[in-house]
Amino acid sequence: MAKYGMVVDLERCQGCRACMEACKVENNTTESMFWMYVFRFEEGTYPDTKMSFLPRPCQHCDNAPCVKVCPVGARYKREDGIVLTDPDRCIGCRYCSLACPYGVNYFNYQKPQDAYYALGIDWEDPDVTSVTGGVVPPYKNPDHDLLYGEEQRRTAGGGHAKGVMEKCTFCVHRVENGMLPACVETCPTNALVFGDVSDPDTPISRYVRAREPWHLLEETGTEPSVMYVGGKPPTLALTEIERPKARV
Amino acid sequence: MPKVTRRTFVKTSAVAAGGTALARNYLFGPLDTVAAESPLALQPMVEDVVPTTCWIGKQDCGMLARRVDGRVIKFEGHPANPRNAGTLCPKGQAQIVALYDPNRVKWPLIRTNAKGATGEWRRASWDEALQLVADQVNEVRERDPKAVLWQKGRSKAKKFYDDAFVKSLGSAKMGHGAYCSDVGYRVLEYMIGTHAVLHPDFRYCDYMLSWGWNITGAGGNKTCWLQWPRHMVEAKERGLTITHIDPRLRSAGPFADDWLAIRPGTDLAMALALCHELVAQGFLDRPYLSTYTNAPYLVKPDGSVAKVTVGEGEEAEELALVWDEDAGAAVPFAEATSRALEGSYEIDGEVLRPAFEVFKEHIAQYSPEWAAPITDLPAEKIRQVATDFGEKAQIGSTLVVDGVEVPYRPVGIMAYHVAQQELGFPTLQAMTMVPMLVGAMGAAGGQLSDYSWKIHKNYAKFEKLTVDDPPYDYFLNKSKFFPINTGLPGVVAKVMQDPAKFGVEKLPEVAILHMVNPLNAFPSQPDFLASYGMFKFVAVISPWLSETADYFADVVLPAATIEKYEGPISVNNQYIDGSTLRIPPMDPLFESKGEIDIYMDLTEKMGLLYGEDGYLYQVNKALGLVDDKAEFGVDINSKPQVRDIFDNWARSEGIEEGVAYFEDPGKSVYIKGPVKPTKMYGYATDPPFGGAIHRFYGESLLDAQNQMKEKGAEAIYYQDYNALPTWRPPTMDSSPAEYDLYMISYKLIEHKQARTSFVPLLAELAPGARVDINPVTANRLGIESGDVVTVESHNAVTGETRSIALPAVMCEGIRPDVVGIPHHFGMWTHPVNEGQGSSPNELYFTGEGYTTNTADQSFHVKVRVRKGGEL
Amino acid sequence: MATTARGRPALPQGIGRVTPGWWAFFAATLIVLAFGIVAIIRELTAGMVATGMRDVGTAGGATWGLYISMVVYFIGVSFAGITVAALIRIFDIERLRPIARMAELLTIVSLILGAFAILVDLGQPLRGITNLFGFARPQSPFFGTFSLVIAGYLFASIVYLYLGGRRDAALMAKHPGRLQRFHRWWAAGYKDTEAERRRHYQTSFWLALGIIPLLIVAHSTLGFVFGLQVGRPGWYGTLQAPAFVALAGVSGVGHIIVLAAIIRRLLGAQRRITMEAFSWLGRFLMVLLAVYLYFMVVELLTLLYATPEVEKRLSDALLTGTYAPIYWGSVAALVLPMIALMWQALARRWNVGILVASGVLVNLAAIGKRYLVVVPSQTHGTLLPYEVGSYSPSWVEYGVVLGLFALGALLVGLFIKSFPVLPLEAEEEVSVDA
Ligand SMILES: Nc1nc2c(c(=O)[nH]1)N[C@H]1C(S)=C(S)[C@@H](COP(=O)(O)OP(=O)(O)OC[C@H]3O[C@@H](n4cnc5c(=O)[nH]c(N)nc54)[C@H](O)[C@@H]3O)O[C@H]1N2
Ligand SMILES: Nc1nc2c(c(=O)[nH]1)N[C@H]1C(S)=C(S)[C@@H](COP(=O)(O)OP(=O)(O)OC[C@H]3O[C@@H](n4cnc5c(=O)[nH]c(N)nc54)[C@H](O)[C@@H]3O)O[C@H]1N2
Ligand code: SF4
Ligand code: SF4
Ligand code: SF4
Ligand code: SF4
Ligand code: SF4
Ligand SMILES: [Mo]
Repeated sequence: MAKYGMVVDLERCQGCRACMEACKVENNTTESMFWMYVFRFEEGTYPDTKMSFLPRPCQHCDNAPCVKVCPVGARYKREDGIVLTDPDRCIGCRYCSLACPYGVNYFNYQKPQDAYYALGIDWEDPDVTSVTGGVVPPYKNPDHDLLYGEEQRRTAGGGHAKGVMEKCTFCVHRVENGMLPACVETCPTNALVFGDVSDPDTPISRYVRAREPWHLLEETGTEPSVMYVGGKPPTLALTEIERPKARV
Repeated sequence: MPKVTRRTFVKTSAVAAGGTALARNYLFGPLDTVAAESPLALQPMVEDVVPTTCWIGKQDCGMLARRVDGRVIKFEGHPANPRNAGTLCPKGQAQIVALYDPNRVKWPLIRTNAKGATGEWRRASWDEALQLVADQVNEVRERDPKAVLWQKGRSKAKKFYDDAFVKSLGSAKMGHGAYCSDVGYRVLEYMIGTHAVLHPDFRYCDYMLSWGWNITGAGGNKTCWLQWPRHMVEAKERGLTITHIDPRLRSAGPFADDWLAIRPGTDLAMALALCHELVAQGFLDRPYLSTYTNAPYLVKPDGSVAKVTVGEGEEAEELALVWDEDAGAAVPFAEATSRALEGSYEIDGEVLRPAFEVFKEHIAQYSPEWAAPITDLPAEKIRQVATDFGEKAQIGSTLVVDGVEVPYRPVGIMAYHVAQQELGFPTLQAMTMVPMLVGAMGAAGGQLSDYSWKIHKNYAKFEKLTVDDPPYDYFLNKSKFFPINTGLPGVVAKVMQDPAKFGVEKLPEVAILHMVNPLNAFPSQPDFLASYGMFKFVAVISPWLSETADYFADVVLPAATIEKYEGPISVNNQYIDGSTLRIPPMDPLFESKGEIDIYMDLTEKMGLLYGEDGYLYQVNKALGLVDDKAEFGVDINSKPQVRDIFDNWARSEGIEEGVAYFEDPGKSVYIKGPVKPTKMYGYATDPPFGGAIHRFYGESLLDAQNQMKEKGAEAIYYQDYNALPTWRPPTMDSSPAEYDLYMISYKLIEHKQARTSFVPLLAELAPGARVDINPVTANRLGIESGDVVTVESHNAVTGETRSIALPAVMCEGIRPDVVGIPHHFGMWTHPVNEGQGSSPNELYFTGEGYTTNTADQSFHVKVRVRKGGEL
Repeated sequence: MATTARGRPALPQGIGRVTPGWWAFFAATLIVLAFGIVAIIRELTAGMVATGMRDVGTAGGATWGLYISMVVYFIGVSFAGITVAALIRIFDIERLRPIARMAELLTIVSLILGAFAILVDLGQPLRGITNLFGFARPQSPFFGTFSLVIAGYLFASIVYLYLGGRRDAALMAKHPGRLQRFHRWWAAGYKDTEAERRRHYQTSFWLALGIIPLLIVAHSTLGFVFGLQVGRPGWYGTLQAPAFVALAGVSGVGHIIVLAAIIRRLLGAQRRITMEAFSWLGRFLMVLLAVYLYFMVVELLTLLYATPEVEKRLSDALLTGTYAPIYWGSVAALVLPMIALMWQALARRWNVGILVASGVLVNLAAIGKRYLVVVPSQTHGTLLPYEVGSYSPSWVEYGVVLGLFALGALLVGLFIKSFPVLPLEAEEEVSVDA
């Protein structure tokens, strides 16, 4: 059984946020939902200023607090390490979101159809629906309607629904078909590396051996599957700059 | 790609429905699935992939469009395209939303209200709209073709169909380049002969000056973005050191090993000081300078080059003289075996000195100590950069690349938009001299510019500059104002407002605007507001109602976005060469059309499509489908399909399958192969450097200055035409002291010029304009983060002031005497634009003091900032 | 002896008799309740976007807000009710016996409100119920809270109230009228024989004994809902659970005092609910307050010396920043009653007015403190350097909470009007017999 992991090489990351955008399009997430999020930081005072970037997907923790607290088992961890949310099971208590130290969970506060960039874009415009057949959003990915894993469950990628929690799925629908996650695929500088860490011959395993990976919030004991190389763990001394429109 | 067939889809959704139907519908929470919501799902699902290229960006990254039932659902990077190697930037990813945007111009529009204000439109048929444009344009064209002005902004791919249109009409043509880095191009064409600005050979470079390169936010030389950053991170892993020279740190992000926060508009002083130090510390590649540049040319006391005339009559040629140390005499350059770079030699009673000697004397004054107060950088820092650059250049070393031995100078500069400052021309001249002095131009690991050493036609043209008497054309070509002229639309706008001042008699009467939005993308906005209203008729070809169209178009023709052919497109990434085409991933949406179709229809209506010199003839010509390739030309007497044109082109390139090659997602990128060292490195080409002698010394510039003076030009026009780059304070510095800040503009990685701020996915990431301000300055002005501030600019020549209000954002990575504003906002026609704020282009000036000596825009102005104002 | 309009003898304690004042009271609660229902419908149709809650992290919000604060509060209130009732049984505190039923009532009502508050806080409320039955994971502290507190504990207290009320129900059932069927149903054949009495006494006693550990476990679990969160600064800590229990007691006893005073006044029951009862309640409140204040001082010290950056950011927000008004307001609303109670205890003179004021104050403080436990750790407690967040409840949330209070008042009112809230006394029994 494969065990999936991701390496984020902070010496390569340009903070471009292409990964965020790829994730949004691939997974059809709605406004202000950033399953992948890239921090941009500034530190120090002029002229001794430093900048850094930090991409933050779900860490797919091996000791995942979000899984532990879910009252109904909607949040579950698969044997291959992927932590998923079953949108048909989730009761919307948002407990996982609080248990997670990384802030990677996104709750559907409204009906997704109303949250696809509704401001300024009317997907129901008859001229558009004549082309898209009324699919909202027009770039809707049909893969998400399928069932995945041994458990044959849907994943939150397929279950954008009001009142349900969702988060990064490690693009399980792509990974199961032998493709890389959308964020990894698009990263212009290959700062994201994904693969089977249990197989010593994968690029990611070589990466892990050659560099010294560290984990985000190591001290919380969550044992993430996402590893960082280069850079340094973030502190509150960093000032976040250039925040996207993150609240609806 | 996973294949979702109808059968598995139905099966799985049935399972989903059975198992979850109950849970799914609990209380107002039906889960939306394609099955539940989409009529499309009722039909069989057909999935396929179409190769295409990015529509937003300027380097046309290769993409694969994933389609479901003909509906594009995702763009991914094309793995075989060397430029992006399977990756895409945020804009490339987000453009899928733009494609389906119902706020596109869906059908031809004809204006129903007066121009100069927000437009009111009626829907028209293509036939009616085209007829109207054809009639209006023809009426003027028949009288005076140059009174028809065709304008295009940020171009894509090869401009064959544009050029064909302009040629078939005989109209005048105006671009965007003078806002881009055209002045940089002119300098390189002048000095080196290549059509480009500057970038290093990332594969071997050890030390790079990132000089105003927006590493993490924009293009750098020639590209859109992600090509150079890919090379850069690999070079950094190999050990490349980056010194970033930019008033903002943000552009380099974490990649600057050292940050020199230079004062805006003083890069010339910095470059001159680097030259001074390289010479002073003896970091000179004499063999390069004496063999491949005009540095040994003997210069007379009046600055002109000593020459002899050989041959007679038609054959007569003027040859520049150098001092041959072996012969102990002045001989033509080509004949000398040991060309002196220094010394002074008395010949026929005149003291002649090699240009390099003149240069040494000229730069003697430009020490780091001199530059320090101008650039506001410590002299030691400047000296250190020169020392590092000189030492790391390893002058004299060579490297064997793919079996070819080439000089190895692993140092170079990346520069592009930094050219857009008032002293842009001399600045780029001096910056180019830095790698030249150490022999890095065209060396392995050293300074590159274009992807090849093809010599641009301007190189020869610039040997002698002509300054005519008035009347001038409205671009002021060959005028006493701008003898080297890139055609700045802002200057045209000035001329239109006061033709007499510039000795212009004939003005353009109608305009056809294609992929350009001057009112928003170009400074200075008030000048465009004033001049575009003077056109009798304006037709705009655009997928969006641009601000310019909103105010001034009589007719808007809806262009398709990505769903149209584009090409041929180079995929050269410096190291691998090849080409591709954009295949439309869908049929044009709504009633839009691709530009090629639009131009064919329009020229047909104008009676210019067919026959000798007609549009189709010009298309063949522009694609090189003439002479020995004439068999590939399209029939000039019948209207082809656009696909046929590309099919012919592909075959002419030796691709047997024709366009089908590019339609096959498995192929679709035509790789010619790795770029050979004999093509990549100037030293190794045959002849070296494409045969050009590098113009270290700009004799014709000095000559132009003399001619301009003769024709009565004012100093503000001729002062920067000098044989050697010469410092003077920029005009903006004479604004009153209360205008105590410099305003610069820059690009955001999430946006592309003025064509994305309304794409909701991108507007989410980078929602609006802002004023970056150093907290020290903000504190002094009583400004807090998020406060609305008023920025007021001042024109040091005319005294005019302009202001806008925007929210302030604290930024430690910016000089305290600088404010920065991204230039992508300030639009108003799209609902998503609501509340995004203004464009710095409302504040910039154009014209005297704010353009270069080559008629290129400066993106600098002095401003003052105060708290408060109306957004 | 009072009679009704139709000449029937009136029921004791004003049962069944709705005076204009009561009509006005019911109308008022119904109006507020209706407003709450409108708010809930708004939330259900628009989604929780109608609340002020947003995701923790990039959205800079609090994903648990006023609702969960109220859940914790209501469950806390229920604690004291049942504890007092249980203590009365275990220690046979005779002078408090008249308070027992209202304490039980309080428990049940606040549990119902708590349950509703949880339901409105769920993104998929009905699924919340069905999936919890289908897929409940006992490992989740939330499950503990939900199942133990709301389900088990609610069930237990209902049984308790039921048993304790059977005798009165039987007595009431003898009386004809609209409520007779209800009383009969409750009495369920109770004959008030000695054997029955003993059996009830014993069941109540053992139930009371059993309920105490259940209480502690339940409230600790509620504490663990927060306390086990390594990823939420301010929540992780061993004191969470005991502090929860202590504050629960404070708010609940406060409530009993207020309710007792109101009923005493309404029913003119000065004789039944004696000053001694109030002094007992006052002392009990004082002890609980003292315990809680001890926890608070410890908490304050931890806050002051908070070293990790995040904890510091959080404590700054609490002590001097955004939340300082609520924090210090709550502290004042705890310290003032403490002083008042101590003063009264020392003076051995108890004043109902001051006690009621104290009861109200400690409850405001309890709501404040619950809010401060729930919210700031989300807005200011992110371990990654997200920007500091903000949360303020929307009108929908206020509407729902007001609606809940109205529902509570309505339920209490209905109970008072349909069942003896004070155990029936000999004379009342007589009047019924007549
Ligand atoms: N994301 C994105 N990428 C783009 C584009 C886009 O719109 N968006 N546009 C493309 C186009 S058309 C072009 S031309 C290229 C441009 O590519 P670049 O030239 O790399 O980008 P700009 O942001 O224009 O660069 C301006 C930089 O110069 C700095 N600067 C300003 N004034 C001075 C000065 O006086 N001295 C020095 N040393 N630095 C100064 C600014 O701080 C900024 O970092 O980008 C291309 N790529
Ligand atoms: N202040 C400031 N201003 C700048 C710069 C800066 O650094 N600072 N940078 C400058 C630079 S480098 C450049 S290159 C210029 C670019 O300036 P422009 O070339 O004018 O800008 P674009 O936004 O690329 O394109 C303009 C319009 O083309 C239309 N368009 C988009 N796609 C298509 C299409 O497929 N077909 C057709 N027919 N029309 C289309 C859209 O309506 C869009 O509004 O801006 C310059 N402006
Ligand atoms: S796409 Fe790659 S380089 Fe860009 S922000 Fe994401 S990880 Fe960093
Ligand atoms: S990062 Fe958060 S959501 Fe993801 S597995 Fe870990 S705890 Fe769960
Ligand atoms: S929100 Fe859904 S996934 Fe998260 S804990 Fe609650 S039920 Fe589980
Ligand atoms: S792995 Fe997939 S779901 Fe996760 S951040 Fe990347 S693109 Fe998004
Ligand atoms: S870099 Fe430019 S061309 Fe490439 S994907 Fe991005 S916007 Fe498109
Ligand atoms: Mo440009």
